[in-house]
Amino acid sequence: MALRVENVARRFGETTVFEAVSVTIERGEILALIGPSGAGKSTLLRTLGLFERPEAGTVRVDQTDIWAATERERLTKRRSVGMVFQEPNLFGTTVRRNVEYGLRVRRSWRTRFRDLVPVIGNRTPPQPVVDALSLVGMEDAIETPVESLSGGEAQRVAFARAMAYDPTYLLFDEPTSDLDPRNTAVIEDAVITATRGEIGAVVATHDMHQAQRIADRVALLLDGEVVEIGPTEQLFSSPQDPRTQKFIDGELVY
Amino acid sequence: MITALLSDGYIWSIIRVSLYVSLTAIALSAVLSLPIALIVGVTEFRGKRLLNAVITTGMGFPSVVVGLLVLFAVSNQGPLGPLNLVFTPEAMILSQIVLAAPVITGISLSAIDSVDGGIRDAAYAMGGTRLDVAVVTIKEAKYGIATGILAGFGRAISEVGSVLIVGGNIVSDGSSYTRTLTTAIQLEARQGQFETALVLGAVLLVLVLSVNAIVIRLGSGGGRSR
Repeated sequence: MALRVENVARRFGETTVFEAVSVTIERGEILALIGPSGAGKSTLLRTLGLFERPEAGTVRVDQTDIWAATERERLTKRRSVGMVFQEPNLFGTTVRRNVEYGLRVRRSWRTRFRDLVPVIGNRTPPQPVVDALSLVGMEDAIETPVESLSGGEAQRVAFARAMAYDPTYLLFDEPTSDLDPRNTAVIEDAVITATRGEIGAVVATHDMHQAQRIADRVALLLDGEVVEIGPTEQLFSSPQDPRTQKFIDGELVY
Repeated sequence: MITALLSDGYIWSIIRVSLYVSLTAIALSAVLSLPIALIVGVTEFRGKRLLNAVITTGMGFPSVVVGLLVLFAVSNQGPLGPLNLVFTPEAMILSQIVLAAPVITGISLSAIDSVDGGIRDAAYAMGGTRLDVAVVTIKEAKYGIATGILAGFGRAISEVGSVLIVGGNIVSDGSSYTRTLTTAIQLEARQGQFETALVLGAVLLVLVLSVNAIVIRLGSGGGRSR
């Protein structure tokens, strides 16, 4: 059981972001995706997150070839993959409505309309919503409107929102690059706790220390090519590719 | 004097016709405009700027010209001739749709356009279908969309040119058939019935002002929608 891209290519008009990238994420592991800006980290995450169809290659979620599957199958499989972005991207409503969203879209339209009616709808917050918020210490803010949250709190809610519908794979695009150290630690701990279960996580980051702190494996992406992929310790202590060594040295000085 | 006028069924029938025509036109315009605004707002395609320009031009389209075109369309030789709509409230609804739809589309479009793509990505990432993502986009743009609908209503209820041409300003048995507030004011003033014209003018002003007050309130609410 894994989330896997095989020889995928992504092009935007004349620009080729990558030609043939292959990566596999197993359940229960954290893969850090490191590389300089413009290396294609976000594009690779969006491909893994099934946002756009790659120009070539296959994307598999638990063996299913996503872009060869039926619309229905694809939706089912897509719903086992979640994503947290650099920006919280919260909807302009309450914390609770945000965190409930993933559960809500999985319900039938009938139930969703019923829930809009105060008398017959179910008004107590579902347990997964409370649990997901507890994971990032935001359970007391459940009825708070999102505009009164700080940036760090908003990002913690964004994390809870992605956890509430019980994804199998979670993708993070620079999730802590706008955060202070305390909120960064909360998010990192939550990622580790989440993957201790069955979740496979990919964390795109330009912070190599973060990769060292949380990742089981690291993949280095340079100019749209996975230069090296391997266990965190090994990649940082004895990189096989000279470009990896150069990247690590450059970054560590910096 | 004013109480006498207000107790007169004539005035009320005019208000009723005005509201019936404009509210129906706005409801239909909204149903027509919102999907267009949504599709144009969230997709990128060749000619999007041109389409935007066309919609913006439509927002300022002269109402007499619209009236003329709708009159041609509903006249016996026109494509809608068989429906026998000349000088009916329904013909006025048609012309107000043509006038209001670009206003609603244009304002909603810019509201939808300004919804951050990240919001749509988030909805999609949480398992939303294309329809779910569209609903989220509309919710995020709701103040702008409401402003567009109210502005469209303001344009429809206060225009005089097209309803005069396609409606004909008809009264039968002392009760309005196709006479609206605007066409009535125009006629009463020309006949020297200034009291009646003034009362009708006041009613129209109150209607338009209330709508504008709502627009302004929504506008200030839109600032804290995100």
